[in-house]
Amino acid sequence: MVMPFFALFALFGLFPMLYTLWVSLHDWQLINGDEGFVGLDNYFALFGDAKFYNALGNTLTLLLLATMPQIVLALGIAALLDRPLRAKTFWRSAVLLPNVVSVAAVALVFGQLFGRDFGVINWLLGLVGVPPLDWHAQGWSAQAAIALIVVWRWAGYNALLYLAAMQSVPAELYEAAELDGASRLRQFYSVTLPSIRPTILFTVVVSAIGGMQLFVEPQLFDTNGVAGIGGDDRQFQTIVMYLYEKGFGQFDAGYAAAIAWVVFLVCAVLAAACVVVARRIPGRV
Amino acid sequence: MISGLRKRVLAVVVLASVVGAGCAPAADEGIELSIATFGEFGYSSLLKEYEAAHPGIRIQNRVADFETHHKGIATQLAAGRGAADIVAIEEQYMPQFRQSADKFVDLNDFGAANLRDRWPRWKWEQGLANSSGTVMGLGTDMGGLAMCFRKDYFAQAGLPTERAAVAALWPTWEDYAKIGDLFSGKVPSAKFADSAGGVYTAILNQSPENFFSAKDDSFIADRNPALRRAFTIAGQIGAKGQTARVTPFTQPWNVAIKQGSFATIACPAWMLTQIQEAGGPENAGKWDVAAVPGGGGNNGGSFLTMPTQSKHQREAYDLAKWLTEPAQEVRLFTESNILPSEPAAYGAPEVLGKTDPYFSGAPIGRIYAASADSLKPNYRGLKDAKVRPTFGTALGRVESGKQALDAAWDQAVTEARAAAS
Repeated sequence: MVMPFFALFALFGLFPMLYTLWVSLHDWQLINGDEGFVGLDNYFALFGDAKFYNALGNTLTLLLLATMPQIVLALGIAALLDRPLRAKTFWRSAVLLPNVVSVAAVALVFGQLFGRDFGVINWLLGLVGVPPLDWHAQGWSAQAAIALIVVWRWAGYNALLYLAAMQSVPAELYEAAELDGASRLRQFYSVTLPSIRPTILFTVVVSAIGGMQLFVEPQLFDTNGVAGIGGDDRQFQTIVMYLYEKGFGQFDAGYAAAIAWVVFLVCAVLAAACVVVARRIPGRV
Repeated sequence: MISGLRKRVLAVVVLASVVGAGCAPAADEGIELSIATFGEFGYSSLLKEYEAAHPGIRIQNRVADFETHHKGIATQLAAGRGAADIVAIEEQYMPQFRQSADKFVDLNDFGAANLRDRWPRWKWEQGLANSSGTVMGLGTDMGGLAMCFRKDYFAQAGLPTERAAVAALWPTWEDYAKIGDLFSGKVPSAKFADSAGGVYTAILNQSPENFFSAKDDSFIADRNPALRRAFTIAGQIGAKGQTARVTPFTQPWNVAIKQGSFATIACPAWMLTQIQEAGGPENAGKWDVAAVPGGGGNNGGSFLTMPTQSKHQREAYDLAKWLTEPAQEVRLFTESNILPSEPAAYGAPEVLGKTDPYFSGAPIGRIYAASADSLKPNYRGLKDAKVRPTFGTALGRVESGKQALDAAWDQAVTEARAAAS
């Protein structure tokens, strides 16, 4: 009965990966197609490309800025939702709402909220006397804004995953802890977190992989939209944005395919690293 | 109760009649053509007219924004399907798509050579795929170039507001920069220009070559004085903080027009409608149009091409031929400010006599069309798309104060050289 899974994986997972590898070994133009086998030239060019390292650096900082608050916030929201609440379904649906909205629409709206001259955020800052900030101009401000978009979108989704895991923690553990005199916070650290460790592991890995592939939010945050390169100085260009620029802007599909494979390898390494780090959260004895 | 045999006979009869009805004679029955354009080509009423005159042809009008449209073409050509029967391509994307000319129909196959005299030679040649005369696209419009300005801000700054007097203020771009110095500080709520990039593009388009030589397509960006001049003038205006720092056709640009954040913008004819839409009725009569420094120029202009994917090539060609006829081009100008690229059109009295009430009754026909005869083309090399953005982003860094002018220039030249190799 697992045969359908392997068939689907081969068709939609394995084949595209192998085809991309094949494309990356050629001088492949987007429209004109295969223009000759070049071996690993695309990869050598990539490893000497300063713009690639810039994009990689931006992606990693965005990853940290977006993933860590997201996980912590999600844990907090889940802990709150785990209490006996009135209108439980309403609250649970409400936290999922940001995730349901189209990501392109979210990115466009947040891009305007953070607008330099007429954005709402600058207007609010102006009310408390802070001069308007050009959010798009500096790397740190643009990445903070994009991280906010990602946190806003995914915290609720992850919270529901944690909530589901929390609901299966046996009540006796909590009762025993309370008898021992543990405060709510202490219960959270010592009972809840270890019990839902597999779920935390899963969300950390998935968020890290998602963070590595961040594209729509930063691309549409740029005022130039799909023609943007992450600001004048590529200050918030991520790897996938660079892939898009090379593949669909300059039609160099071979180079873009090489970037895609490097992203895949980096994701694999990162996922392994996340597993190692998350294993440090004490598990249930 | 129908008996079993009768049921089967009935079923066969029903089936046969349904199949028979579906197999009506082909003829002109229900051909659907699709045409893909970007921004505002002004084709909606023209297409309806064409449909009415040609029963049996339905036309699907697909409009997207500039970038999405062109990126979509690339994807559709790469995938081998999904492209419209007629696809508009702007002149700045023509060099890139010219490299895939085999994916477009050579319009000579349908007799395009007979249409050659409609256009000035440079416009016709821009639509060719190569030097052997393969016709890739039929020319639609030209941009032309003028300087749109806010009369009320000029009055506030003590500058003349009458069109001819304003044009006399800036015979050259250096004079324009001096007016910028005069203007700045006098009007607190508005900057002088929309962006350094807008000024830069206008100056650049007035010279025959930018980054590559027209003779042999060699890289000349590092030693082209016209490029250096454009970069310097625009960069200095930007570095002095005299621009509103908004990129045209982005949302901040729309808001900036509505809120009146800048006093001048180099405007081709097709931008007038966009300024009007962004500004809304409350800004009517505040804008006016004067001649641009440097005496005329061009920004933009497109071509109607036909991907080989099209299943109705003859009908699509007929439509494209009709849309680019001088009579239609005159209508497009009078209705939507789309500047014709054909002498028969831009010399027509309706075009020359056109004024625009939103822009204080400016005689836009005379301002744009009158200089069309003397327009010289601006050569774009094959690798133009790889090199052009490096200078644009360098200018952006100068404008936002992140880099000094000379350092930005050096970085741009280095990156451009690497990109062109």
